[in-house]
Amino acid sequence: MSDATLTPAADRPAATVPARRPRWRKTLRENWLHAVMLPLALLWLSPLVWILVTSLKTQTEVFDQSAGFWPASLTFSNYPSTLSVAPFGTYLVNSVLVTGSILAGQLVTITLAAYAFARLSFPGKNLLFTLFLLQVMFPIYAIFLTNFVTLREMGLVNTIPAMIVPFVASGYGTFMLRQSFRQVPAELSDAARLDGCGHLSILWHVYLPLVKPTLIAFGIISVVTHWNDYMWPLLVTNSEGIRTLPIGLGLLAKADSGADWPRLMAGTTIVVSPLLLLFVIFQRRFIDSFMHTGVK
Amino acid sequence: MSSSFARARRNEMLLAYALLLPSLIFLAVFTYWPIIRSVWFSLHDVLLGDPEIFWLGAENYLRLLDDRLFWKVLGNTAFYTLTTIPLSIIVALLLAVAMDSKLRGMAIYRSAFFYPVMIPSVAAGMLWVFLYAPGYGPINAALTTLGLPRLDWLYDSDWALPAIVIMSIWKYSGYFMLILLAALKLVPSDLYEAARLDGVSGWHRLIHITVPLVSPTLYFVIIIGTLHSYQIFDYVYVMTQGGPADSTNVLTYYIYQNGFQYQDIGYASALANALLIAVLGFIGLVSVTLGRRVHYLGER
Amino acid sequence: MKSTKPNMMRRRLLATGLAAPFVSAMPGILTPARANDTVKLQFMYPVGVSGDINTIISNMIAEFNATHDGVEVEAIYAGSYDNTEQKVITSLGVGEPPALWLPINSSLQTFLGLDALEDITEQAKADDIYDDFIGGFLDTAVSDGRLYGLSYQPSTPVLYYNKDAFAEAGLGDAPVTWDELMTAAQALTIRDGDALKRWGLTIGGGWHDWMFEGYCRQNGLVPWEADKVLWDRPEAIEALEFWKKMVDAGCMAPASTWQGSANDFMAGSTAMLYHSTGSLTNLRTSSPFEVGVAFMPKRKQFGASQGGGPIMIAKNQSDAKKEAAWTFARWMTNTENQAAWSRATGYLAVRKSSWQQPEMQQYLAEVPQAEVAMKQAEYSGAFLQVPAYSRARDNLKSAIDRTLAGEIAPEAALTTATADTNREIQRVQRRQG
Repeated sequence: MSDATLTPAADRPAATVPARRPRWRKTLRENWLHAVMLPLALLWLSPLVWILVTSLKTQTEVFDQSAGFWPASLTFSNYPSTLSVAPFGTYLVNSVLVTGSILAGQLVTITLAAYAFARLSFPGKNLLFTLFLLQVMFPIYAIFLTNFVTLREMGLVNTIPAMIVPFVASGYGTFMLRQSFRQVPAELSDAARLDGCGHLSILWHVYLPLVKPTLIAFGIISVVTHWNDYMWPLLVTNSEGIRTLPIGLGLLAKADSGADWPRLMAGTTIVVSPLLLLFVIFQRRFIDSFMHTGVK
Repeated sequence: MSSSFARARRNEMLLAYALLLPSLIFLAVFTYWPIIRSVWFSLHDVLLGDPEIFWLGAENYLRLLDDRLFWKVLGNTAFYTLTTIPLSIIVALLLAVAMDSKLRGMAIYRSAFFYPVMIPSVAAGMLWVFLYAPGYGPINAALTTLGLPRLDWLYDSDWALPAIVIMSIWKYSGYFMLILLAALKLVPSDLYEAARLDGVSGWHRLIHITVPLVSPTLYFVIIIGTLHSYQIFDYVYVMTQGGPADSTNVLTYYIYQNGFQYQDIGYASALANALLIAVLGFIGLVSVTLGRRVHYLGER
Repeated sequence: MKSTKPNMMRRRLLATGLAAPFVSAMPGILTPARANDTVKLQFMYPVGVSGDINTIISNMIAEFNATHDGVEVEAIYAGSYDNTEQKVITSLGVGEPPALWLPINSSLQTFLGLDALEDITEQAKADDIYDDFIGGFLDTAVSDGRLYGLSYQPSTPVLYYNKDAFAEAGLGDAPVTWDELMTAAQALTIRDGDALKRWGLTIGGGWHDWMFEGYCRQNGLVPWEADKVLWDRPEAIEALEFWKKMVDAGCMAPASTWQGSANDFMAGSTAMLYHSTGSLTNLRTSSPFEVGVAFMPKRKQFGASQGGGPIMIAKNQSDAKKEAAWTFARWMTNTENQAAWSRATGYLAVRKSSWQQPEMQQYLAEVPQAEVAMKQAEYSGAFLQVPAYSRARDNLKSAIDRTLAGEIAPEAALTTATADTNREIQRVQRRQG
């Protein structure tokens, strides 16, 4: 699509660079992409700006048509006052615990299963793969009741594991990773086979390093999904001590009387910030990981 | 010779099953058991909160055929899926290709397009209720500035569902972008280099090189995207509760309504099973048509 | 749906796996802690107004626990009214209900259908409940003359109006009759060419069926009986025709959402709004103009149906717990707590004595709007207490929406919705029969 895609990378030999072109043309070629991306990015970002601005307004300012877009004075007190609605500190710890455990469990189960589907042959492969996908296909509200009963039978209702165990296996992750494994050149694993490596060793030393971008992408997606889960935690938990962040947010949004906008937006900022931070850190790794892969 | 080959095959098979086992244990308890129960429930009169169930046979399924709302909901679901998924995947693919370059500032762009995914759906839904407000909402203000007519958006049964589609594109393009970007990172760059030296234009490179190269992931995204459209539940729940005039009621929401609001677990199960069969059919169709054309780099 | 056979063959099946085998499974929750005989109660509640309510409830519970030896209440926030009802019903299904909960009053028949509620008529009669509770509020938890809950946070819809907009349009007081309402709405609507700048009137969406029942009552019809709805009566059809007339005249929004309509009012996009009294505090403090509150205009009479909910006590629990639960419910609805709760939220205090409190009198002097809903409560009754009320509400909302969108005529819409709903009620009742 864009010529800029081919802008030579720093680590490529200089010989392939079409350096003889005039400099202004090169600048233009880079900048036309900016010219497309920048407005689009601003469009995408505008709701975020509104979230931040609103979180600093007073209640009356939000709907006052005569008040400007920016708050008259910055009302930082919305943040402490949001935090006083519910024990957000506890919720944060629980959210980290729940999403972290789900991700850890999923990474193990999907890596093993995806390898089997991508590289091993066994009877019933297609059928089993479809069965894995069933998890994604079946609407979650149709399984809530039975899973609630099952968890109760296990004595897990109103515990942290109740929010974790239903999600440890992931048909989604297995499918995603299987697709990436199949992109790995077979020569690589054949070579390792000849060196006497077993399947697990090949999986660990050859496949996993190569699909790191996919693993990170899946990790981000899994964390984001479960970080924001609302209905299931609400159903299976009772005690404040084990509840998660979105329930705190629900307190501000589920209002009969119209939302408490400044505080809802302050709460949103609080809930999203850890994720955003994580993403900014990990997307660097995301880029690094591909630069070091041997695929190139 | 042949017996050692057979043994190797058997070992491979056993290994495969061992690798699948951890997933299968969890799937059996938390996915297959509920599905089996839902088939059982769909043949009964089951009231949420009441342990007694009564045999009905096919009645729940017959009700489904007669249910005017069910067909409307089915149409809404199809509309949502067939607009949101292609549109957000196309946007995502273009974004991902652009992001794959080493242009300065790409890290910021990536965050800009991905952050909507992170906003909790409760908050995102509320946010867009505000953005779509007919009177003072920024979207109508922008339309006026551009000289376009103002719309009633969520208050208008013709526009409420398209409004949710637009919001979903905002929310999920970054999501698909991330997955496609991960796939692009696996594509050897010398292929591009060769194409460029051969003088292939940007557009042709996208269609003839990039798309085939990421086809396994594109295939994944199309299937997952379709299933992901279940997520619309959250927005319907927060923003419109299915209204106005059922124009935003979709299957997942209708299942929730029947099961949890109306306590009609039997009928909700029948709906869920019908949906499952429809989706299985769709996936079968996709895998027969698209799946055959997917090209895996690692396979010959 | 036509296929429902009256004498269908039915086999009773024990719900394997739904409840019976597990009732004994979970230690700790079913058996109260033995240590010094403290009775532990779980209380599930929704948060209907704003986040601070959660803090207020937590403080009330803490105070109760501190002043009552031998009882310990755990307050469980359970989401919206719908979420709360679902959470309670799910727990009922596994034989492990909370000791008390606070649902919307329309769910009374739903819980009675599950045989989940403790009859508290005798305790209430022995106490001052029947004397001091305001009659209309008490009635929302009464079925066949028996009492199944203590009204805790009743509300009715009221007419909010933007006083600045009224002054601008040269209007004085709020409209009192339907005709005046329409005249006012037309005078308040502002258009700039084709573009609408301000609606005259918006009826809060998502709960517009609740307002519609108010319109039926104003027209002299309570649109439901114990086992059927009566939306196809002429009074109801006339009410919907009136709505349609206002929409056609371009002075009323054809649809809205609950959150959105409150925002619209605060932002000045609609000059009048039908919304819950529970929204009073928020609308009053968040609007950049003076907010007026009035009765919903009348036709033949004033009328409203009650939202909000009573505290209900579970039947399936030990006598010790029932007794403790009664103590707690009684305490939550005592004179001072009701007065404080009403001042903080805008919900109506259920006790006559609460309204006599000096703090309450002072509050009414400062915020005279608060009294309007209280006075309107005289003309109010329970809201749609039929089995399958949830589906009934959705059917009605859909019928209203489709009428106002011009898809269908008022009479046809209401006739269909009535038939669908009554068939559904029969289907639910078939389980008991």
